[in-house]
Amino acid sequence: MTRLETRGAVQGPIPARAGIGLRSPHHESLLAERPAVGFIEAHTENYFHEGGGAMRALLRARANYPLSLHGVGLGLGSVDGVDREHLAQVKRAIARFDPALVSEHACWVRARGEFFNDLLPLPCTEEAARLLARQVAEAQDFLGRQLLIENVSAYVAFEHSPLPEWEFLGEVVALSGCALLLDVNNIYVSAQNLGLDAHAYIDGLPAGSVREFHVAGHARNGNVLVDDHGSKVCDAVWELLRRAVRRFGPLPTLVEWDNDIPPLATLVAESQRADQILRERRGLAA
Amino acid sequence: MASLREVQDSFAASLRDPAVACAVLPPANLAVYRNNASHTFRKSLEITYPVVRRRVGEDYFRQLSAHYRQRFPSRSGDLHWFGRDFAAFLDDYLDDSGYRWLADLARLEWSVAECSVAAERPAIFADVLTRYAAAQFEHLVFQLQPSLKLHSSAFPVFTLWSTNQVENAPPVDQSLSGETGMVRLRHESAEVRTVDAGLFSFLSALAGGSSLGDAMSTAALDGRALTDALGFVFREGLVCALTLNEAR
Repeated sequence: MTRLETRGAVQGPIPARAGIGLRSPHHESLLAERPAVGFIEAHTENYFHEGGGAMRALLRARANYPLSLHGVGLGLGSVDGVDREHLAQVKRAIARFDPALVSEHACWVRARGEFFNDLLPLPCTEEAARLLARQVAEAQDFLGRQLLIENVSAYVAFEHSPLPEWEFLGEVVALSGCALLLDVNNIYVSAQNLGLDAHAYIDGLPAGSVREFHVAGHARNGNVLVDDHGSKVCDAVWELLRRAVRRFGPLPTLVEWDNDIPPLATLVAESQRADQILRERRGLAA
Repeated sequence: MASLREVQDSFAASLRDPAVACAVLPPANLAVYRNNASHTFRKSLEITYPVVRRRVGEDYFRQLSAHYRQRFPSRSGDLHWFGRDFAAFLDDYLDDSGYRWLADLARLEWSVAECSVAAERPAIFADVLTRYAAAQFEHLVFQLQPSLKLHSSAFPVFTLWSTNQVENAPPVDQSLSGETGMVRLRHESAEVRTVDAGLFSFLSALAGGSSLGDAMSTAALDGRALTDALGFVFREGLVCALTLNEAR
């Protein structure tokens, strides 16, 4: 272990600034150029191993940036239960890299032992809210810390899904004590695909429940918007971020870009756009 | 009203088979999830098995990926493990074909993938042997680097692997003799190299926990060959620890 490996790492809470994801094409340039971003976010599952280039790059980057660890594999809404082996790996990664924030998704990933390795949507029912909250609480107890739970993009609506998604998430927060990672691109994608009211979504979440924002690009495939993290953030999503910042205040805000990854400078420029929106709010508060 | 278990079961069944109905709207959009899954799993295999993909081409690799997932569905939320059974799948899938070498090539690539995320332990050097009396040597048990993987194939898989580190490499003559070799972590990267059959046998015995004396017998090494083999394992930094097991 582990924590010794991040001795000298940036400590303390993540500032209310924009951050970028740590992706392998940027390992060298991030270390060499040290762009002025507020934090880095890394996919937890990429750091389950003892060694490897990704692990070494993250340890080095920790000397310059606070860290958010963002998991995509736990799927705490799976009826199969909490994957304790996976959770133990998350705990080891937390001990090793000492992140300020740890997040997962409001989704399920497996059924009867088969993993789909995708962020599959939950129906917004009382049963699903209670199960997700119970398993989030179980994970938090095991990890000894609060989790942030992210809303996912949806491409289908369940025939029986009586709760508005924002009420569903609010109930999970109330029952489990978790906080939310609000992905405003996911709200936009789901709203466009399913006819939701994105403004009502942001306005309907409990005040004080959100601790981080995500923004990202999406793609159009016929009539469907797909959350592919493969392009710049569109103006409508920036506007939604502006609304979310007005409601929840300036918070750590990640620009996600996982496919067709651009040069680091392009990603940093996107993060500066997010920073501008966060500063607008800080200016109002001043 | 369906339970959450029933909802997830029917959703999962519909992801596996588009003909299975699921109570979602619009049902056609389930294709997005199916496409995501196909893409994710295929990319994961492509990352782990770039040389197999180069040899078989994009279209056939896509076909292999789909059949592999049917036979070996993902069992982990960590995608790294998705490809772990690919060589076993190819063994079976290509059983009656002239392409069984692809399975051995996949085994080698899996070792490279495992080695690439392994930890490198501090090596000890040959001077450690001076702590032991000559009579104790045969009872020494070597702990080798955990990243070390040994491979023996009836096909020239090491040549195949090294030749196909670039796209559009020329074909390798499959009638060449089989090869033995190893994969290990060196300077934070996986190193792939052949070793001769005697050294391979010696390393395999040591890696299996045999004492030095037993490993020497297994590999049929004479004194000079043993000296060379010991020189190799220490020079290459393959030894992490020695223990004396005289009780055997």
